[in-house]
Amino acid sequence: MFGRWSAAVSFSPLTWIRERVPVGPEQLRELTNEPVPNHLKKWWWCLGGTPAYLFVVQIVTGILLAFYYKPSPQTAYESVRYITEEASFGWFLRGLHKWAATLMVAAVVLHQMRVYFTGAYRKPRELNWLVGMCLLLLTLIVGFTGYSLVYEQLSYWGATVGANITDNVPIVGVYLKQLLLGGEVYNENTLSRFFILHAAVLPVTMAALIALHVTLIRLQGVTEFHFRDEDRKQPAFFNFIPDHLLTELSIGLVLMVLLSVLATVLPAEMGPKADPLSTPEVIKPEWFFYVAFRWLKLFSGTLAVLSMGLIVFLMYAWPFIDARIRKFRPQSEASVWIGIVGALAIIALTVWEASVAH
Amino acid sequence: MTLEFKRGVIAFLSAAFLVSLLFVQWREVSRRAEESGHSKPHINVPATSVACVDCHAQSTPGLVAHWTGSKHAERGVGCLECHEAQKGDVDGFDHYGAHVATVVTPNDCGRCHADVAAEFGRSHHAKGGNILASLDNFLAEVVEGNRGPVGLHSPTPGRAFVHANGMASANTGCQQCHGAKVGLESSDGKILTVDDFKPGLDGKPTNLDAVARVVKDQNGRPKFSSSTWPNTGIGRINLDGSLGSCSACHSRHDFSPRRARQPENCGKCHLGPDHPQKEIYEESKHGVAFRDLLGEMNLDADEWVLGKDYTGAPTCASCHMSGNVRNGGRITHDPGERISWTNRPAISLAMDTDLDHKIVGETDPEKRRALVHDTWEAKRTRMQEVCSVCHSTEYINGFYKQYDDFVVLYNEKFAKPGLRMMKALVENGLRTKADFDEEVEWTWYYLWHHEGRRARHGASMMAPDYAHWHGMFEVAERFYMELIPQVRELAEHGREHGKAAEAEIVLALVNEILARPEHQWYERDLAKMRAERGKEPK
Repeated sequence: MFGRWSAAVSFSPLTWIRERVPVGPEQLRELTNEPVPNHLKKWWWCLGGTPAYLFVVQIVTGILLAFYYKPSPQTAYESVRYITEEASFGWFLRGLHKWAATLMVAAVVLHQMRVYFTGAYRKPRELNWLVGMCLLLLTLIVGFTGYSLVYEQLSYWGATVGANITDNVPIVGVYLKQLLLGGEVYNENTLSRFFILHAAVLPVTMAALIALHVTLIRLQGVTEFHFRDEDRKQPAFFNFIPDHLLTELSIGLVLMVLLSVLATVLPAEMGPKADPLSTPEVIKPEWFFYVAFRWLKLFSGTLAVLSMGLIVFLMYAWPFIDARIRKFRPQSEASVWIGIVGALAIIALTVWEASVAH
Repeated sequence: MTLEFKRGVIAFLSAAFLVSLLFVQWREVSRRAEESGHSKPHINVPATSVACVDCHAQSTPGLVAHWTGSKHAERGVGCLECHEAQKGDVDGFDHYGAHVATVVTPNDCGRCHADVAAEFGRSHHAKGGNILASLDNFLAEVVEGNRGPVGLHSPTPGRAFVHANGMASANTGCQQCHGAKVGLESSDGKILTVDDFKPGLDGKPTNLDAVARVVKDQNGRPKFSSSTWPNTGIGRINLDGSLGSCSACHSRHDFSPRRARQPENCGKCHLGPDHPQKEIYEESKHGVAFRDLLGEMNLDADEWVLGKDYTGAPTCASCHMSGNVRNGGRITHDPGERISWTNRPAISLAMDTDLDHKIVGETDPEKRRALVHDTWEAKRTRMQEVCSVCHSTEYINGFYKQYDDFVVLYNEKFAKPGLRMMKALVENGLRTKADFDEEVEWTWYYLWHHEGRRARHGASMMAPDYAHWHGMFEVAERFYMELIPQVRELAEHGREHGKAAEAEIVLALVNEILARPEHQWYERDLAKMRAERGKEPK
């Protein structure tokens, strides 16, 4: 009888788990504590994790917002108004969601810029560049569908204009538009379609791609940079835990504070409710589409859409184009100059669109 | 290319991107704040109005400030869009390179708001200036003032007047609500109005002789007759032949929809002893709720549809003009479209109107049916649509039954008998045809024009105190204690001055009226008392 008791007393939860999950602390340490290149001691090289942080914020706040959101033309605006004006902390959650979306796009762009100019997309990391490009586009699309869900005048007309732009794509444009809107024009089914895309299809796809992105980074390691002023005698790497982990946590905390301040000082507002019969005088998409919107105004219909498609294709294919250039001119820095022109053009077109009403 | 150089490129472009992002977000946040009404919209002054705004910001800063806060300013409608005159317009003048006119008429507003201007043109509001031939006008121009100058009978120390303007009461009283016939000074000392200029359909004068007589100042600007301008009366008769003044309700220069939706706006004219609609509204449950729920009235909403944008309380505009969820949000600028009784005349009339929107007076049912274009029932249905946003059909029908009963009681017991007696006095030569020269005319005027209207308006807008104490109580007192005795006195006076037969006719009419069941109470005990004293009433 006492033997049975002593067996029960000697029970260890850790042993119990270890017997069922055969991973020891050493293996765990090895898995998580990869050596990190020295340049990542500087926080401004560590912003690749920022979009991932913001993605988590979006998932959490998005789930809470979805508790109240009702995706139909009759109820959408009223439910957003309820969230903003009546639900406890609704205004704060909506503010966090809105500003996290803005910061996420900004963080993705900054991260991509860093990867581009440091040539971190080159062999053997071309595939990860492609994954990153997909994540960039998905971030923009998830932003577009999210903005449309509010069902206010500008988001409604922004979605309508967006659908009409899709219509300009030769041959498949008509079908793409129908796929987007669930019909010829914005209709009863459009909002639920946008909602499912925004809250289920796109986030799940993004989560999978983020996992792939991180896995590829782990497999290939972070690109190493060696600056001239570095002490070559010092080790080229440092530990992920705790050094880099603390840097990432600090960045995360600063982000949380920034988001809270933005959501409180500049909360998400409500524009007038969507009215399909009254076109507003000024139609603007979300700011991250300003560059595309200005491009569309500069060139007409199909030409604009095709040229934009070409630019996106070139961005995808850039690691391979760059490799081809460097094969013939190994010291070529064409990519840097092209990048500078491209980045300045994006900034200029965005500022231009923000400055004018039409 | 060194890694350090690339690091610099990344730093520079990232900083540029973040700065541009700050700018974009600042623009975005400002735009959203404007959309949601949390900040004033950004104003782009139209190029043609930049000089006007710059100069008037110094000379009339309040005017520019009002405009700056208007929807017009927000949408790029500047000074010239409304004030620009065509060559040949009688009141047009050159002003720092632009040809402008001072008075903005419904024709000008109608250039953009064509449907609204047409609808308003059909309304009784637009015809408010027709008071010029009415009893009220006679009162102000003759009884209160003089159709000509009034001589000075002793000096006013410190002031050197030549004479008093006999039309002053009419100008500042009647015409600031009803509207003036706008006039320009003429070289022969007269006033030139639309009657002299005879404008064509385009609003331009056809009588060029009259145009030649217009007096202009040293800058070539036509001089307005100060008796007729400034004026924002709702039925203003303009030089271009148009009727009305949009700024009567949509105050210049901010044209605020918010203000037009509030009862105080209508209260400029619809108040006082003869038609205290605003006070009646304030006494009613509607007015009480409005004051309490002012913060929930959403008065800045774009369309302001009752049942959608607000439900707290209706204002004058809600019931008589604005849209509601029952009528698809349709706004009317003809308040008469929803009024089923007119309580303006001595005897209330059903609002059956003809093609010209005039009340049909025909009594023959067949002929009447042919003339009526819009029935009182249709008008009532439109008003009931408003009521039904908050009230059940049974409730609304019950209210209208009470209202109808009240109006018919007033008509039958006091108004029709009173009018018959007043007519009988004139027809039998027992009073003069001139109004207000005999006490009975003042009595009768008080009865229907003041007390009778108060009573009926009180009943129409759910204000019991106005229906009763300020209304029917005073009507009854005026009828029994003043009108009947004064009519009898005039008849007695006539009998004593050789008009015995005429006096008998009038006295017989009075007795016939008083013998009706509803009046029998009045002299039953008095007759008994007088019989006891051996003194029968004659």
